[in-house]
Amino acid sequence: MTFQPTTADEASAPRRTVLPILEARSLTKQYRMPGEIVEAVRGVSLSVMPGEFVALMGPSGSGKSTLLQLLGGLDQPSSGEVLLEGEPIGRLSDSDATRLRRERTGFVFQSFNLVPLMNVVENVALPFTIAGQDPRSHELAGRVREAIALVDLTGKERHRPDQLSAGEQQRVAVARAIVTRPALLFADEPTGNLDFRTGLDILDALWRTCMERGQTIVLVTHDAKAAAYADRVFVVGDGQIQDEIVLGRRTDHAAAPLIARLALLGL
Amino acid sequence: MRGLVRYAWRALAARRARTLLTVIGISLGVGVLVAALGVDAGLDASIDRTVASMVGRADLRVTAFEETGLSAGTLEQLAAVPGVALTAPAIERKTFLASQAGRPVETAPVTVLGIDPSAEPRVRDLSLARGVALAPADGASALVTETLAATDGLELGDNLQILGMGAPLTVKITGVLRGDGPELGSGGRTVVLPIRTAQLLSVADGDTAPAQVGGVTRVDVVLAAGAPVDQVAASIGQALTLQPYVLSRPQDIASSLRASTLDIRSTMALLAAITLFAAAILILNTMAMTVVERIRELGLLRAAGAQRSQIVRVVVTQALVLGVAGSGVGIVVGTLLAYLAAAWLRASGQLAIEGPVIGPFAVLAGIGSGVGITLVAAVEPARRAAAVSPVAVLRVRSDTARLVRAHTGWLVVVVAVIGTAAVLLLPGGATDLAIPVRAVGVYVLLLVAVLLTPVLLAPLARLAGLPFAALLRLEERLARAAIRRDPGRTTLTVGALVIGLAMVVALASVAGSARVSATAWLADVVPGDEVLTAIAPAPVGPGGIDTQLSSIDGVALATPIASFDLAYAGTRLEAVAIRGADFLADGRLNFTAGDRTAALNALDGTGAIVLPAPRAARLGVGVGDTMAVATSQGLVNLKVVGLVARSFPGRTGDAVLVGWGDATSKFGVLGADAFAVRYAPGRQADAQPQVDALARQMALTASPVSAVAGAVGDALDRLFGLLDLLALAAVVIAALGIVNTLSMDTLERVREIGMLRAAGMSRIQVWRSVLVEAGILGAIGGLVGSVTGVLVGVLLSGGGGAAGPMSVVPWPTVALAIVLGVALAMLAAAQPARMAGRVPIPMAVRGE
Ligand SMILES: Nc1ncnc2c1ncn2[C@@H]1O[C@H](COP(=O)(O)OP(=O)(O)OP(=O)(O)O)[C@@H](O)[C@H]1O
Ligand SMILES: [Mg+2]
Repeated sequence: MTFQPTTADEASAPRRTVLPILEARSLTKQYRMPGEIVEAVRGVSLSVMPGEFVALMGPSGSGKSTLLQLLGGLDQPSSGEVLLEGEPIGRLSDSDATRLRRERTGFVFQSFNLVPLMNVVENVALPFTIAGQDPRSHELAGRVREAIALVDLTGKERHRPDQLSAGEQQRVAVARAIVTRPALLFADEPTGNLDFRTGLDILDALWRTCMERGQTIVLVTHDAKAAAYADRVFVVGDGQIQDEIVLGRRTDHAAAPLIARLALLGL
Repeated sequence: MRGLVRYAWRALAARRARTLLTVIGISLGVGVLVAALGVDAGLDASIDRTVASMVGRADLRVTAFEETGLSAGTLEQLAAVPGVALTAPAIERKTFLASQAGRPVETAPVTVLGIDPSAEPRVRDLSLARGVALAPADGASALVTETLAATDGLELGDNLQILGMGAPLTVKITGVLRGDGPELGSGGRTVVLPIRTAQLLSVADGDTAPAQVGGVTRVDVVLAAGAPVDQVAASIGQALTLQPYVLSRPQDIASSLRASTLDIRSTMALLAAITLFAAAILILNTMAMTVVERIRELGLLRAAGAQRSQIVRVVVTQALVLGVAGSGVGIVVGTLLAYLAAAWLRASGQLAIEGPVIGPFAVLAGIGSGVGITLVAAVEPARRAAAVSPVAVLRVRSDTARLVRAHTGWLVVVVAVIGTAAVLLLPGGATDLAIPVRAVGVYVLLLVAVLLTPVLLAPLARLAGLPFAALLRLEERLARAAIRRDPGRTTLTVGALVIGLAMVVALASVAGSARVSATAWLADVVPGDEVLTAIAPAPVGPGGIDTQLSSIDGVALATPIASFDLAYAGTRLEAVAIRGADFLADGRLNFTAGDRTAALNALDGTGAIVLPAPRAARLGVGVGDTMAVATSQGLVNLKVVGLVARSFPGRTGDAVLVGWGDATSKFGVLGADAFAVRYAPGRQADAQPQVDALARQMALTASPVSAVAGAVGDALDRLFGLLDLLALAAVVIAALGIVNTLSMDTLERVREIGMLRAAGMSRIQVWRSVLVEAGILGAIGGLVGSVTGVLVGVLLSGGGGAAGPMSVVPWPTVALAIVLGVALAMLAAAQPARMAGRVPIPMAVRGE
């Protein structure tokens, strides 16, 4: 397979002249189990430019989550390298990796994103609290408010997770992931547990952060309608990047063009 | 079905650590029970043996009331009673052996037992280790115990010099008695002499030896074959007219010995029951966790067609495995603990116990209660497991509010079962109603404390979290959130800790008030800085020891004290003879009724008596009343001239006070048992050496009042140390529960932890939040436990006495309980915290 990071058509990659914010080089990940070795990721190289919205798409078991965890520094690759803003993160010490997660990345998972007994503000402010900062300070409180506004939850600040709908909970998770203004936002099937309409709310929220703040986003999904929000879609299969589809930045997120391209690829 | 039972096994094996901790918890509970029962049976066996060796084949025993002993006339009257086949008189007194060259100098007193060499063997077998028994003809022979021979370096054929009123008596050792010998309470230091020889010890120089046996301490009576005991006892009552005496039967002696051990036995039984209660909470919690944790699996089983009864059987099988394993280990733990406790009691010198007896009853009770309680505790979780609907597979979280109600409601049933069992097992429960009533009170208090915990959880957690919040705000916040997530589980976790720590605090407060009541009288009553105790009645008056002491420069006061018994209204009344003027001058004795000066002066006259207020209340007499006391010269009337708050302690309460003159002239007091010496202010340093020298010369033991208080306190401390050890078992069980709960918390929160880690939380922070959670649990346990413990202490020591309940709050122990609670909980959290810190993020965030 021939794959080159930035060969896509000119219009699609904003700020193409700057260096990639995220780069993966020949990543592999093996899970050793008694009697067998599962190769979840088998030699993935890719790069993501600042401000880009990228989707990893593929069928179940194809290795998307594993890849995302490697890219986000949640797990360490068996071989290969991940560079975040040019700096390798594959072999960081635990405390460095922790700092990285606190300051430079944000995560949204499919579920269980919130601390049940904390309200919306507290959950969004969690990264600051973890860092030992006072989230009630003027500046940080402003950032928390701003993040909540961005995901359209103003007015529900005092609600606890069990008093929110599933979609609202996921939006709180998005707000929390972006409140520190991370270099990268990783989302693994954030709409997986939601119905179609609610799922769109989340994707709209992600999209707004990308548009309004220039947030770089890596989204994992098996859903073409979700992937259609991205500027670029990596098609993952069998632990490898099988193809790359450049959609370019568009204001409408109709899935039709992507589905057409996928069909063209025989997927 | 077999498949499902295998599933039960696997569920236990999957959580090996929790299974192990639960088994250890049960085994500790069962262990304390088995130890308590073993010690109890051991005490019983020792008492039976003691009684058997004391009374031998005697049917009745006549004991002298007066110090002068039973006279020859009384012995004759007794021997003449119809139905009396044999009388075996004995003289018992304490003295010293004269020190002799070539032998280690031993200053401890010995007990001399004078027996009739011809009558004694028919009543009692003295078992000899070597040598021969006393020969009736040989007055100068003696037997010593193995213990005495060993400590004093004595051998067969050695001569012994025994100190008496006159010149030392020389006898030759012809035999060595096995072990401690026949005399209880002598510490094994006993010399057995022919009674005629023993009698010589009370003959002063210049006096002639009495022609007949007299001054006898007691007479063992063997009845003629077929003579009815009751009838002979009645005849003795009519025949003995010369002197007051006490007639007792072997079973009276056994029951009075048993009564003296009742306190420690019932306390141990109570502790055992409470430890089992803590163990039951642990089991309840573990079983409930197993169910909650496997709720989806159980739902799956149900969806796959498993019957409710099959699910119940799975849970009950698990409980059974835990119960049987725990009880088995518990028997072993209990046996070890019983030997430890028996050795401890023996070493503390408080109770005569040779060793524990782990009989079939203890083993059965251990297994029965271990398995029984486990099964009872498992009933509710089993029911809950059976109620899991097949759709539980789809539910994400269980309804905690319902779990709480279920948990704590069932706890009441469990407690009721254990409580009933405990009251039934409690020694003395049948005879003294106050003991079971108090035990029930303790249970109710502990239960209320545990049940109140969930209600108070939020504010308590906030309070307990304060110290942590100052440093670790986030961790404290997360910890508190985790604690409130499942209040039912938190309650059970903290409950065991509350119980354990409450018992530690309660014991400290009981020990504290026991110490106070055991020593307070010293300052209140004793008119001196130092007490010199005599082994035999010491001479008083002109030329007596008190006069010699008073003449020492720097001694302000030396007053004689003698204890004896009065016969009043058919009972034995412990009395102390004092000189009123000395107590008046020294400002001792706190009068609650009657005029102090008048009363103490009256004591120095004739016919006056002063009563301790509680005793007066019990006897129903007041100031101005007259008490008719039996003496050898007939009834003597004593007028109650005053009541005092506290007096010298006796075996059955405080002693009554009688004037020295009356005591010596009417009640047979021969001399002083002790002298209280008060030094002139600032003169103790120069006068004390002279006092001590005189004491040595007169074979008196000198001990400062503070040392007496210290010795009493130390003995109590040793006793309570043992009880503390047992109470700590409950605390350890609680710690095991904390390990279980926190591990479970971590497992349940693995996603939340993963998410927090992804959001940038460090391992250390995760680790700390679990530790803080434990710390808060520990602090809640310590706080609630201390309050409960103080209340239990008040209940056990009967209201805290005159000084009010606040006087028994053992503040250092309260502080210790809180620190212990926090420290132990955090220690227990070490492993779960490590586990939580190591949660791999990818695993935690992976969808199902
Ligand atoms: N901890 C693990 N141990 C063993 N194998 C694993 C582990 N985690 C993942 N795998 C395997 O790696 C492969 C990729 O898993 P991954 O979770 O990355 O897939 P995915 O594309 O995210 O699937 P889905 O869309 O269902 O979430 C799978 O075959 C899976 O069985
Ligand atoms: Mg996945």
